[in-house]
Amino acid sequence: MSRKGKNNGETRVVTTLEFTIVMVVLLVLLLLSILTSITFGNADISVKEVYSVLANEILHLKGFENYSQGSIHDVVWIIRFPRVILAIAIGIGLSVCGVVMQAVVKNPLADPYVLGISSGASMGATLAILFGVGSGIFGGIFGSSFVGVMAFIGAMVTSFGVLFISNIGGTSNAGKLILSGMAVSAVCSAFTNFATYIAHNQNATLSITFWTMGSLASADWDDVLIILALMIAGTFVFWSQYRNLNLMLLGDETAVVLGTDLSKLRNKYLILSSLLIAVAVYSAGTIGFVGLVIPHAVRMFYGTDHKRLIPLCALVGAIFLIWADVACRIILQNAELPIGILISMIGAPCFIYLMASRSYGFGGER
Amino acid sequence: MQVNVEKVELSYGAHQILKGIDFQVDKKKFVGLIGPNGSGKSTLLKAIYRVLKPDKGAIFLNGEEIEKMPYKTSAKKLAVVSQHNYYNFDFSVMQVVLMGRAPHKKNLERDNAHDYEIAQNALKTVNMLDFSNRIFSTLSGGEQQRVILARALTQQTPCLILDEPTNHLDITYQLELMDIVKKLNATVISAIHDLNIAAMYCDEIFVLKDGKIYEKGKPREVLTRDLIKNIYNVESQIVDDQDGNMHILFLK
Repeated sequence: MSRKGKNNGETRVVTTLEFTIVMVVLLVLLLLSILTSITFGNADISVKEVYSVLANEILHLKGFENYSQGSIHDVVWIIRFPRVILAIAIGIGLSVCGVVMQAVVKNPLADPYVLGISSGASMGATLAILFGVGSGIFGGIFGSSFVGVMAFIGAMVTSFGVLFISNIGGTSNAGKLILSGMAVSAVCSAFTNFATYIAHNQNATLSITFWTMGSLASADWDDVLIILALMIAGTFVFWSQYRNLNLMLLGDETAVVLGTDLSKLRNKYLILSSLLIAVAVYSAGTIGFVGLVIPHAVRMFYGTDHKRLIPLCALVGAIFLIWADVACRIILQNAELPIGILISMIGAPCFIYLMASRSYGFGGER
Repeated sequence: MQVNVEKVELSYGAHQILKGIDFQVDKKKFVGLIGPNGSGKSTLLKAIYRVLKPDKGAIFLNGEEIEKMPYKTSAKKLAVVSQHNYYNFDFSVMQVVLMGRAPHKKNLERDNAHDYEIAQNALKTVNMLDFSNRIFSTLSGGEQQRVILARALTQQTPCLILDEPTNHLDITYQLELMDIVKKLNATVISAIHDLNIAAMYCDEIFVLKDGKIYEKGKPREVLTRDLIKNIYNVESQIVDDQDGNMHILFLK
């Protein structure tokens, strides 16, 4: 139910039936988006050929065997399809973590990007790529994925750093949190740039540009399914915690009165969302604003109840990122626009619009 | 439920707010807590409902020390309506009231028909059933306080704590809210600013001054000209109306 029908502050609430219908519609849209988006791209491949490849790979239908290899097969199955899966995973992860962080810090402005967690993750990744920091410790255990481990450590350190700084000299509030996020983010970016500047390593510089601008191009079958599974699992974990997330918005006092001590939960949620963000940054670099814009857009229509907000955001985020990635692939001829740039270009103005058009809060009326 | 407060002391930094509070509230009694600003009423109530932890002393519910209970257990025994809550988010009235079921729920358990029924009954009690699909933040202050009371009722606790719940409400809502609470027949501990309201509803009144209990007893015994002069430094006159109810008039 949209908010258009309201008058005199009277607002109808979304019923369970409407919620179910919207969920089903979004699932269908997601499926359609997967199937349609896969036909877009620079390579000139007909729609029929695309689906022939899918018919062979997914459904194992007879008669499509000649699509089991060759350049068309490779473009569709090795390049495009994993990329769509990665877009879904990142869209889910960023939107859901945005929702959770906004509840954890009780501040509608929180998001992995604003709080500096993305910058922390990309600093970790940069240090790993440039200097092999951590490769000695993690290289043996995790092999080449020590870059991901460093991204995770960077994400964790910054998220706790930001919380710690914002709590200096009294309890944290909205303003302090945002400012400490900005400060930590600036420090991380500065170190990332400094490291890049002194390293004089062109290959590494290129891959760091990838981290800071964000791209889904590196998707391959080796890890997209694991990443997707992680994001979906994280979403279900947070979905199951909807009651506590709702309580977080009411504040610590009310939560104690209603029988829940939030302080430990807050750390747990922050660790889990930092983990998801680190995975997202590891596989797609820093993509800002998704965690801010998607939750706000969904709240405008469906309210703040996390029981609904979390699954809705996951689906909307996934669909949004699929199409953002399609746009990145086709806007420039024979080249690709990094998705982080595109989303910031769209996301920042959207965010300004959201802020200006309504009283600012957790989707609250004035 | 019987509530015992024993030798409770509490400080903010170097500033001691509660300097050894002792009292007992008997089952199903309506107790009013009065005292000037800064006398420690809110602090005392917060210690009882566990938002603040006493430095010394302890609080017991039916003889069981509250500090040793899980939060969920104490939330099944005590519900709280505090001073006006400003929430700025899109929860519906029903969603806010259903949160009162949280202490009764296991970690992954969802709200069921029984919970909805309890929430609906609570809304009916506070005359807000028609508002259950409205957005909480669009309600007036008085309506919001009644919804918060409904949430407290949904917790189904034997004891209710009110921290000046009628602050900022006009007289209609003040009386309405107190009437509803009085009819619940629960153990009630309420901080009250308005002495006439305290006199109307309380079985017993505890007077707090400088972090200590200065006086306690029935309203008529406690609310005297001398006490009001000592506590608030105001001249007053106590009069009875034709029904025999006491009223306090403040003089210049």
